[in-house]
Amino acid sequence: MNPAWTIISAFAGALLVLLLPARMAGQSRIIALIASLVGAAAAAVSCLTRLNGMESDVWSFKSDWIPSFGIQFHLAADGLALTLLMLTGVVAIAGVLFSWNVTKRPRAFFAYFLTIIGGVYGVFLSQDAFLLFVCYEIVILPKYMLIAIWGSTNREYGAMKLTMYSIGSSALILLGLVVAYAAAGGTSFDIAHLAAAEYSTELQNWAFPILFLGFAVLAGMWPFHTWAPTGHVAAPTAASMLLAGVVMKLGAFGALCIAIPLFPDGFAVWQPFIAGLAVVGILYGAFTALQQKDLKFVIGYSSVSHMGFVMLGLATATHWGFRGAALQMISHGVIAGLLFGIAGRVVYERTHTRDLTELGGFNLWKSLPGAAIAFTLATAASMGLPGFSGFVAEISVVIGVWESYPWLLPWVALGIIITGAFSLRAMYRAFFPDSKASSAETMGAGSSTPPLDPLTWPEISAMALLLIVSLSIGIYPKPWVTLIDDGLRSPLFQSILFQP
Amino acid sequence: MNYIHLFYQLLPEAVLVITALALLGVAVSTESKTKKTITCGLASRIAALGVLAAGVALVFTPKCLASGSHLIAMDAIALIFKGGVLGLGFLAVLVPPAKKEIEHPGEYFALMLFALTGLTLAVGSNHLLFIFVALELASLSLYLLAGFSRTPQSSEASLKYFLFGAVSAAFMLFGLSFLYGFSQSDTLQGVAKAVAADPTSVIGMVGLLMVVVGLGFKMAAAPFHYWAPDVYQGAPVTTVTLVAGASKIVGVVLLVRFLMIGFPDAAGSAAWGGITAGWSIWLAIIAAVSMVFGNLLALAQKSVRRLLAYSAVANSGYLMVGMCAAGGESSAAALFYVVVYGLATLGALVVTAAVERDQGSDSQAAFAGLIHRSPLLAVCLLIFMTSLAGIPPLAGFAGKFILFGAAMTDSIQAENSGLAWLVGLAVVMSAVSFYYYLSVLKQAFVKDGDGSAGKESLSLGYVLAVVIPAAALVLLGLLPSVLLDPIKVAVLETLGMH
Repeated sequence: MNPAWTIISAFAGALLVLLLPARMAGQSRIIALIASLVGAAAAAVSCLTRLNGMESDVWSFKSDWIPSFGIQFHLAADGLALTLLMLTGVVAIAGVLFSWNVTKRPRAFFAYFLTIIGGVYGVFLSQDAFLLFVCYEIVILPKYMLIAIWGSTNREYGAMKLTMYSIGSSALILLGLVVAYAAAGGTSFDIAHLAAAEYSTELQNWAFPILFLGFAVLAGMWPFHTWAPTGHVAAPTAASMLLAGVVMKLGAFGALCIAIPLFPDGFAVWQPFIAGLAVVGILYGAFTALQQKDLKFVIGYSSVSHMGFVMLGLATATHWGFRGAALQMISHGVIAGLLFGIAGRVVYERTHTRDLTELGGFNLWKSLPGAAIAFTLATAASMGLPGFSGFVAEISVVIGVWESYPWLLPWVALGIIITGAFSLRAMYRAFFPDSKASSAETMGAGSSTPPLDPLTWPEISAMALLLIVSLSIGIYPKPWVTLIDDGLRSPLFQSILFQP
Repeated sequence: MNYIHLFYQLLPEAVLVITALALLGVAVSTESKTKKTITCGLASRIAALGVLAAGVALVFTPKCLASGSHLIAMDAIALIFKGGVLGLGFLAVLVPPAKKEIEHPGEYFALMLFALTGLTLAVGSNHLLFIFVALELASLSLYLLAGFSRTPQSSEASLKYFLFGAVSAAFMLFGLSFLYGFSQSDTLQGVAKAVAADPTSVIGMVGLLMVVVGLGFKMAAAPFHYWAPDVYQGAPVTTVTLVAGASKIVGVVLLVRFLMIGFPDAAGSAAWGGITAGWSIWLAIIAAVSMVFGNLLALAQKSVRRLLAYSAVANSGYLMVGMCAAGGESSAAALFYVVVYGLATLGALVVTAAVERDQGSDSQAAFAGLIHRSPLLAVCLLIFMTSLAGIPPLAGFAGKFILFGAAMTDSIQAENSGLAWLVGLAVVMSAVSFYYYLSVLKQAFVKDGDGSAGKESLSLGYVLAVVIPAAALVLLGLLPSVLLDPIKVAVLETLGMH
């Protein structure tokens, strides 16, 4: 199985689901699960093949698409792309499992879901800027539909806001790519060709921020993050997982593999600003999360904070920083998926509230011990405790920061501390309420609250899957690091990481 | 000069005219015998067959540059875009208008065919007067068609269209007389020679400016667009599809002919930091105004037809961005984009017509719950609107991407950043446009509707008129080269660039 099967399985699955006759609509989740499993298996097999054959050439596929404008259908999978494929595959499986109980227009739901997955796979594999942009934009409309049709709180507003931010960001990216294409001679959209071309410093100085900002908006960089919390909260569980888990990664991936290699001189100029904004984002997200009453908003702002680490890693322009950013993408993808899954699906669908105080009334650690355990572990991972993926990622970023901007470290440390504070606060309030306060509440509400349904197998398996991935990265990060380093050896990063 | 030869050259137009006359004959004879007019469906079918036959005739029309009289130029651009005009015309006549909307279907469809004749003639000529006469044939037919449904809105649309059209025709004719006086020649090649000898001549540039104003009216570019919202809203739908699709294509083809064949040496530059006098900067200004005006006003529209009218204004702006780069590739990209745009707008108008017929209104609220009433219409609407918004994998995306890319490539230079400012504006405005296209889709897909509305019933004409453009947009989105390469070859060949 080569990596292209990830894209094929997702789009074929979407098509199959759409073609399903109306009376079999209930089966669409099975097709979606099979499609996700095939995609994840293809990603896993490709990762293993790559790990066992580091010296061989990377898998690639190239074919003419629009030859008169130098556009090719060019896919390739280096180690970095493969790890992100693996992440997408895992989140996709978990997303389908957490959506097992969707009964409202299930065919459309899973078709949109799989389209997003396919687009994301496509972005990670594209070696042609046009193709990358196509895959990047394919994701936008299904995102809107998922949130606007199946969402909850304030869904139409949240969906429209998120979509307009996405469209705005892709407008910037389009402009940046077109400028690069024209300035490189207007012969090819191939990313390697664009990155190898010489651009004047003046052009780089204004073109880099345009292109970078386009990607950074999607990555939730402060102060362009406001779509993320509202969008995540409004979205149905699977969409929140996808948005926080993989779609935000598209922005970070684009910044790393397109914006920075294309305009390295521009990057060098803007680097300190990016670092500053990233640190503000880490702190702002953490402090805001500390104030939230809604469990999903806590997770939404924690995503802003965590994505700040990714951007900070990029801004360091060091090997450690890039590696940490990539690890943090994967780590945050898994953990955010898990947190949103528990908050949005496991808890909300039973309690019908996400308010931290009201959740306290349900004594979740007694009534839903499985969820409480999973959430505790996820919180630990999110705080970056050793043994979980978050630790490996954040420590790498911090080393990178030490090399480039040591004076930023105190602020980063403050961010890490606040992250611990808001994570613990949310966890205690929601799952382990203060015994006195909660017993008083349960006195009043206890008799009227029916016992909560036990966890179902799709929920348990989804939570277990995400936890295992996070733990495995935390305990044995070597294969992931090896793969990421393989990606970072690409000629794209030569001029930035290995300066003479 | 050989009349048989001329007839061969104009075979498609001849077929159109013969069909139109036959249609009139059938209509009159039926009416005098049975005291009843022929049905809309029959008239529509006869007209569609006529257009189809004209398309077949076009395939057998020989390509020929000099037909002896210099009136007709069957060059590569003409061949492709006569086909394009006929294709969009075919889709336009497929849609049967409601019986109560149109009292005399025979005359109505005959006029449609006359309008198409004028449009196809205008595409294939480099002769100043011939272009004018062909355009007027199309315009006069369209003025009448716009007022055909005899409602107050339709009459208003017709009168506005006529008044604005008459003024712009006067501008154009005046401009053409300047060009003739300046170059002592009545063909664009002759004008080009005079321009090459004196690129900064005031008389020539004034003449060209007036021609651009006239064509800007045809394309509904701001600030010559004031007729568009009322015509789009008041005129019968089939007329609007013709105005929005075929007529716009002709506007762009003629703009390419005038600017790139007649005035290639007077382009100047609209590049940031390198502006020089010429037509490029005029077009850049028209483009910027059109994009900003069209998109911002479209945001406020409740009526989907008016929304599409303002979207037409905005899209003229994008097209002009391609034109003002003054290059072969960017002209080809603009010509590709206008075909894609025409297909999408035509489809969206037909869906609107179907909704309007059953719901009695073309407001956005009338689209609520369309996915439940008619999945076919809703999915096609999704394709048209997302193509207009420029979302992949549809043709509108490939069109915009290539258009902006080519405009940048043809304009960027080492010492300045070319049209980045204009392309940037276009890209940002295109992002704004997504909001209003999406708000129509939101009604169709997200809102549930009040449940009182029955299922939409569709005749074969409607189904074909939405499915064909939708399929074409998907195909051209996945494989743009199918159409893009022939257009590029044709443009480079016609303009003599290799």
